[in-house]
Amino acid sequence: MIIAEHLRKTFKSKTGDVVAVDDVGFRARDGEITGLLGPNGAGKTTTLRMLYTLMTPESGRVLIDDRDVADDPVAARRALGVLPDARGVYKRLTARENIRYFGELHGLSRDVIDQRTRVLAEALQMEDFLDRQTEGFSQGQRTKTAIARALVHDPRNVILDEPTNGLDVMTTRGLRGFLQHLRGEGRCVIFSSHIMQEVAALCDRIVVIAHGRVTAEGTPDELRAQTGETNLEDAFVKLIGSEEGLQA
Amino acid sequence: MKALLTVWMKELREFARDRRTLLLSLVMGPLLTPALLIGMFTLIEKKAQSQSEKPLEIAMVGAENAPNLVAWLAGQGITRKTLKGDPDAAVRAQDEDAYLKVSKDFAKDWREGTPALVEIVHDSTRQDARIPVQRLEGALQRYGQQVGALRLLARGINPGIASPLAVSHTDLSTPEARKGMIMSFLPYLFILSAFLGGAYLIIDTTAGERERQSLEPLLATPARRSSIVSGKIAAASTVGMLSLLFTLLALKLGAQFAPGIGRNLDVTFLAIMKMLLVLAPMVFIGTTLLTYIAAGAKSVKEAQSYMTVLMLLPMLPTIILMVSPVKEALWQFTVPFLAQNQLLLKVVRSEVISPLEWLVYCAAGFGLAGLLWYAATRRYHQERLAISA
Repeated sequence: MIIAEHLRKTFKSKTGDVVAVDDVGFRARDGEITGLLGPNGAGKTTTLRMLYTLMTPESGRVLIDDRDVADDPVAARRALGVLPDARGVYKRLTARENIRYFGELHGLSRDVIDQRTRVLAEALQMEDFLDRQTEGFSQGQRTKTAIARALVHDPRNVILDEPTNGLDVMTTRGLRGFLQHLRGEGRCVIFSSHIMQEVAALCDRIVVIAHGRVTAEGTPDELRAQTGETNLEDAFVKLIGSEEGLQA
Repeated sequence: MKALLTVWMKELREFARDRRTLLLSLVMGPLLTPALLIGMFTLIEKKAQSQSEKPLEIAMVGAENAPNLVAWLAGQGITRKTLKGDPDAAVRAQDEDAYLKVSKDFAKDWREGTPALVEIVHDSTRQDARIPVQRLEGALQRYGQQVGALRLLARGINPGIASPLAVSHTDLSTPEARKGMIMSFLPYLFILSAFLGGAYLIIDTTAGERERQSLEPLLATPARRSSIVSGKIAAASTVGMLSLLFTLLALKLGAQFAPGIGRNLDVTFLAIMKMLLVLAPMVFIGTTLLTYIAAGAKSVKEAQSYMTVLMLLPMLPTIILMVSPVKEALWQFTVPFLAQNQLLLKVVRSEVISPLEWLVYCAAGFGLAGLLWYAATRRYHQERLAISA
């Protein structure tokens, strides 16, 4: 379970301070998929980076499995599987070696890594390119490799930053199935997206972020009720305050 | 510690798969440096030999005024050649090294016993003209002294009276040290290859990793950042040390084929090992400094633009020593580049390096590398490092 409380982050720029995230808080439960929905530049990636301890919030705190990440960031990173916005793979290593590298950094034994690689490769349908060097991989193959290496240590909590970015329809469908599979295993899954169809199709709970703030939180039904709109798309537009950046 | 080893091995494996870069850094460099040395040696030796032993042919303007002098010079291996056109222009155009100008009044002055004028016309900025001019000058001086002595004898005077001083040189330099003098550029080559031997790998794995967007996922793993940086530094140092070892071994091998090197340099196995020890701190200083710089750079291109400046750094002590030579002192072994420069020269001249000098040197060298390592790991803790895009 991941809990974010009153997160705030400011960036310094030449024109003055920019508040990227302002008092963001939500709760992502185990066995549920929580979607972070918002237009580009709304503060989704910055929020996620604070969750996986890459950035320290100015105020507020993050709890992972009821432990404050600030107390022990290493333990927090151990409990998390992260697919960041940046998902470069090592071009001169094979997909399997990419996964093994991260497994070793997590301190896993060779046997465990091999066994996890088998499971993940099957779930993500990557057997036919597992032993090829990743140079020349398609976007979908790269993303799958990045997801597999993020989950090699079998984490309870999974954070994915726009996982379907740049993927074709079939790969996206496959990935959706994989996320549902993770939920079925009782994991806590958070993923961010700016595509509302995707969030609507997949998420148990939705957190809508715009301009660095949470504008709404709840199940799709609750959001519809809250805005008085029967159509989810209209509800989103109302919550975000504009249609900007919501196109797929 | 385990993470360090993981990163170390992974970076080396990735490096080994890049065949072209591997060849460039582990084969090309080690071949080029000794090849350059052998080539320069052969060239210098040949030149010195041919210039001081071959008959020297120079133009002599007004030779008809001093037929005896010309005949005497010919006996010394300096013969006359005819030159068309303006001899001054020929020297300026560097077609001629020098020429001799005998004054019109030479014969008259000679007979009257007043100093007769002969001029050596040359361009003092030309290295090539140095030896011919010296030979000519020496020959003329000998001729002058000979004739002077004869004149005194003819007047019944002991020629010794006219030379109250007998000046002579006694060269106390060891033969090995004289050899080392020609080699003042050798330390630069070795220091440079030690300093920047791991440069490619370190830039590729720090700035390059950031540019290729694989740094953020790496930093999201539980591995400590200091372990990650240290692994990268260890990998680059491995490559740097290997490339250095190959260079030194190639030099040793080259000495078998070009006797010039062996005669001028100490290339015994002991000396090679000493050179490796002298250069080891340089490898660490180079990789840690580059890690510190490249970690702050946003792209490989930015990191590479620092290389030009870094290539000049090892040259500084050589330049400073050239402008104002300093006496050897213990403090010099604490100054990076200067220390390596002095120690390498000592090794190739087969001079003894005292244990105290080794101690001071290693403490200072590895100490500085340690400081730079600390600075580099601190840089990897910065928040903005992970945010590349």
